[in-house]
Amino acid sequence: MAFLRATALIFSVHLRRVCWSRRVLGCLGLSAIAPLVALLVALATDRVPAGPIAVHLGWLLLLQIVVPLVALLAGSAVIAEEVEDRTITFLFTRPIPRQAVLLGRWLATLVVVLGLIAVSVALLVEAAEISEAPGPRVARDVSRPLLQSALLGGAVYSALFAVAGVFFRHPMIAGIAYAFAIEGFLANLPGGTQTLAVQYHLRCWIADTGGPLWRAVEGFSLTRFESGEHALLTLGLVLASTLALGCWRIARREFVLSA
Amino acid sequence: MTSFVVARELSRWYGQVVGLTDLSVTLEAGMVGLLGPNGAGKSTLLRLVSGEIRPSRGRIEVLGREPFANRAHLQELGFCPQQDALYGDLSGREFVTLLLRLHGFPRAEARSRAGAALERVDLSEAADRPTRGYSRGMRQRVRLAQAIAHSPRLLVADEPLAGLDPLARRRIGDLLRELARDGTFVLVSSHVLHEVEELTRDVLLLHRGRLLAQGSVPEIRALLDQHPRRIEIRAREPRRLARELLDLPGTRSVQFAPDGEGLSVETTDIEAFHSTLPAAVSSARAGVRSLRSLDSGLDAVFDYLVK
Repeated sequence: MAFLRATALIFSVHLRRVCWSRRVLGCLGLSAIAPLVALLVALATDRVPAGPIAVHLGWLLLLQIVVPLVALLAGSAVIAEEVEDRTITFLFTRPIPRQAVLLGRWLATLVVVLGLIAVSVALLVEAAEISEAPGPRVARDVSRPLLQSALLGGAVYSALFAVAGVFFRHPMIAGIAYAFAIEGFLANLPGGTQTLAVQYHLRCWIADTGGPLWRAVEGFSLTRFESGEHALLTLGLVLASTLALGCWRIARREFVLSA
Repeated sequence: MTSFVVARELSRWYGQVVGLTDLSVTLEAGMVGLLGPNGAGKSTLLRLVSGEIRPSRGRIEVLGREPFANRAHLQELGFCPQQDALYGDLSGREFVTLLLRLHGFPRAEARSRAGAALERVDLSEAADRPTRGYSRGMRQRVRLAQAIAHSPRLLVADEPLAGLDPLARRRIGDLLRELARDGTFVLVSSHVLHEVEELTRDVLLLHRGRLLAQGSVPEIRALLDQHPRRIEIRAREPRRLARELLDLPGTRSVQFAPDGEGLSVETTDIEAFHSTLPAAVSSARAGVRSLRSLDSGLDAVFDYLVK
């Protein structure tokens, strides 16, 4: 069966299944965190205007915590769920390229992850706008780069965690270690090592395309950012090479299942 | 005769655990039963045949090809795994149709084949219910349906009769025999020996990852001539009979039944035993009520071979 046809078939079936999975409920809960916090802040204080609420929560909570967590919860299930449920045998004993299983399922997961993140950003902005404090509102130079950056992060992180499922038996553990120990450490370490973190490139995109309000975020002025184009190219390369590595590995790996 | 599996010095281990060791075997047309207790290496061999895993050492060819992740091989394979796993949110029909579509069938043909396969395993009525509500036997039948729906040249079924009620067991047994008769190569495993004995004469006995014996049940029996056979005799006077039996050539031991109305004899020369038994019974005037071999089934063959 042709690669694209197999990928499309697995995508369509998995999309329907993933929409009703318990993991998506978990992702939904995570996606609600940033808008809820924004709502609380907006209602609880009359001193913080809408713009600063959106940039601070977008930068510190949404991009650094919610996006990696949603991508982790959904992405780590791409292959690991089939292995844990012991259903991967049915797919791997069909005459299809094994890579189609990874890509088809990842694409379906990606649609859900990006949808949730987009809704989360939109609700965050709406919640921040409830603030009646005098000051800057959430302009397009705040919401647009935040949305773009969050979607980019969702795509790259979900691919990383999906591919982790091809390599590791427990990709969730590996993913948590990566997202919060390694990435968190690298992204906040001064110097050139920041460029090794996905977070850094997401911030670069915001720094390049976002308005002046973003400069108020803590730590912003301490970092030297690369251009938005460069960040986009780097993230694209990370995404493509991660998926290529996953495809290479899944074609060769044995998934030994117990009865 | 066509060989469908050729293995040479085939070994597979999982870390320190031996799954299969040094297996050299050729399986030919028809249905072959794979026998052995849990941990014998049956599932490992079936996974090697289905191309799910690679050998650690040695070589395996299935229908002339190396099977691991080989799409040409998978095109001809129907695999019914042992693990009790399905997509619980899909109905039986959706599940089989999906897998048929992955096999390359157009939507309409996939649906029609799925319906036919589910009917063959007696699951038409439940075909449109989600599989999470199926009984264990129904789930087993769906797994078998997806394995036969695309008319594979080789059917590999790991414990296909497990979890089935007697009626379904008979129906599936008939189905497997029918497939073999129609030219499908069928490789089935079981740890319940009489199940396989009912399905096929050609068996492969595995134990602790090693091949113990291969052949038909009578051929395996012939290999066992040096092993003692046991016969149970129910009689009115078992003690008098025992004295006579101990004088027969080849008798190794006589053991009385706990109820005192029978005995079991162990002999190394079954031919001589049968020819001289009538005279011994007559001489002892033991009043024999019944006589039966305790090791006519594969269970006894297996017991002998592993001792």
